[in-house]
Amino acid sequence: MDRPVIELVEVRKSFVMPGGEERIDVLDIPEFRLDAGAHCALEGHSGSGKSTLLNVISGIQRADSGRVVICGTDIGSLPEPARDRVRADRLGLVFQQFNLLPGFTALENVLVAMAFGSGRADRGRATDLLSAVGLGHRLHHKPAELSVGQQQRVAVARALANRPRIVLADEPTASVDAAHQQQVIDLLRTTCTEHGVALLVVTHAPEVAGQFPHRLRLEDFNRAARTPAR
Amino acid sequence: MSLLGIAWRTIRQRLFTSLLTSLSLALGVALVVATLITAGVVKRAFASGGGLGYNMIVGAKGSPLQLVLNSVYLISRPIENISWDFYREFLPAAERPDGMAGRYAASVQTAVPICMGDYFRGYRVIGTNAAYFDRMTTVDGGPFRFAAGVNFRDDDFFGGVLGHEVARRLGLAVGDTFSPTHGADDGAVHDPFRVTGILARTDTPVDRGVYVNMEGFFLQEGHAKPLDGESASTTPAAQAQPAGGGGRPAPLPDAQREVTAVLVTTASIPGLPAELMAMGLKQAINEGRDGQAAEPVREIRQLLDLFVRPLELLLLLVTALVVIVSAIGILVSMVGSSLERSRDVAIMRALGARRSHVLATVLIEAVLLAGAGGLAGWVLGHLLVASIGPLITTNAGVSVGVLSGAPLAELLLVPALVLLAVGAALLPAIAAYRTDVARWLQGPG
Repeated sequence: MDRPVIELVEVRKSFVMPGGEERIDVLDIPEFRLDAGAHCALEGHSGSGKSTLLNVISGIQRADSGRVVICGTDIGSLPEPARDRVRADRLGLVFQQFNLLPGFTALENVLVAMAFGSGRADRGRATDLLSAVGLGHRLHHKPAELSVGQQQRVAVARALANRPRIVLADEPTASVDAAHQQQVIDLLRTTCTEHGVALLVVTHAPEVAGQFPHRLRLEDFNRAARTPAR
Repeated sequence: MSLLGIAWRTIRQRLFTSLLTSLSLALGVALVVATLITAGVVKRAFASGGGLGYNMIVGAKGSPLQLVLNSVYLISRPIENISWDFYREFLPAAERPDGMAGRYAASVQTAVPICMGDYFRGYRVIGTNAAYFDRMTTVDGGPFRFAAGVNFRDDDFFGGVLGHEVARRLGLAVGDTFSPTHGADDGAVHDPFRVTGILARTDTPVDRGVYVNMEGFFLQEGHAKPLDGESASTTPAAQAQPAGGGGRPAPLPDAQREVTAVLVTTASIPGLPAELMAMGLKQAINEGRDGQAAEPVREIRQLLDLFVRPLELLLLLVTALVVIVSAIGILVSMVGSSLERSRDVAIMRALGARRSHVLATVLIEAVLLAGAGGLAGWVLGHLLVASIGPLITTNAGVSVGVLSGAPLAELLLVPALVLLAVGAALLPAIAAYRTDVARWLQGPG
């Protein structure tokens, strides 16, 4: 059995409600694992804690308790700069809104991601990645000059910039029209397969989730999501 | 891509705001640089005037400062003239027709007369004798050096020597002739003098002087002292034979001669400090009724203490305010774009940027804005000084150019601005440092 690249054990996360008197549980996960190279779709209703889960896995937010092990490193015990380093080196993130830097060209958006990793900013690799997603002719275009589909491709290339072990995609098709949804999913899956990268896609679109070999509902393993949000 | 590259790209992303911020910085710095340079150059020029190879000026009674400004710096107006006989009191026996040493001769090493009142195309004309350049020294204590030609001879009545700047600006060369005008540039035109030499640059008021043989000067219309019952305008000049005329004219009789001032180098006697000698001579002259003695160093020091130093303090205050306002400009600009920045910061943090990366990027951005604005302002300030140089030359009597500088103040200005900008940028930098990534990147779910 492959060693898991993501392993969550007894992870809890809650937030203080505005007003400061009441806490709301968002994550209560006894166990969650994603093996190396595995592709998994994660479904969940709105407010079920999907984004919080991705934030905890990526180290952007810290779990209140439990173990969050990424590629063998328990990032829950690491200080923030070390978590940032793990995120830069081992994780690639694709966002619903693409979240490209508007003032940077496609190539620079990929190079920026490299700047925060352990390796050097490799212009050649950045160009190759963009060429691989079909944007070799759009290297020096800024996001505003690219179509929605092209922006998402830049986001995918950027996610792979630092040779990550895992790509986390948060609703990657939500901002794309129906005609391009399939292209985005194909691109993500093909690219991650080619690079041997584990892929965790959060979605609420059944037609997207249905294409993945592993399909999970957050409510199934997040006890906090079973309680209706107040 | 380095943090510097990211900061630079961020500046370009907000190009208009960045340009405006840098422009406002540049204008502030240009103003400060121009003011500092002008003040510094003027101050240095005045301070250097105290060492022009003489330590005392004797002239008509009146304001000693005016006497110094007129005689040393070639600005302001002459007070009045002193008599020829009084001038001769400073001469040794060998230089006097009666063969007897003058009253003050024992205290004097060199006494050079100067006659003023004429102009040549905006420059002051000084009638003097060959001793001015033969026996006096420059600021550095060495003899006057000629860039071309030689000093005029005392028997060459219509010979003249030009200061470096005069020759350069007016394009005159050795052998050329020039005709001074009486009293002002539009006054009566005098006889022509021939250029025998052009002085090497001294960076003193001497560079702006037109020096002519006093004997020729005396012979010009209106320069002879009226004899009893005559007026100056009707006093005929001696039969002048100007440059190129051949032969030497008869010199002006002593009775009709006057000088504007006498530049005196006091003698130094073993065992007696030079200051004491000068003090005694000054006291003796000032007690008399013929004229006054002024010490250029003392007068200029008083001028600096009274006006220039307080002005310098004021300038320093203005400088500090401009730099602070500039830094606040950066702060306003960066705070104004903080909303846009927060999203970018959140993205970079999600990509793995550490908080320190974000902090550094914002501070680098401030350094680039301040540095670019500061350097542009520095260049602009120098260009400004160069463009108003002629105005400064006319009014303050010192020459300034694009390369004139106020080294220490200038060296400190841009780094101080950058430091303050970094200080001002700390607020937006800390805001960026504390950006809540999850909030800015929050999607549904």
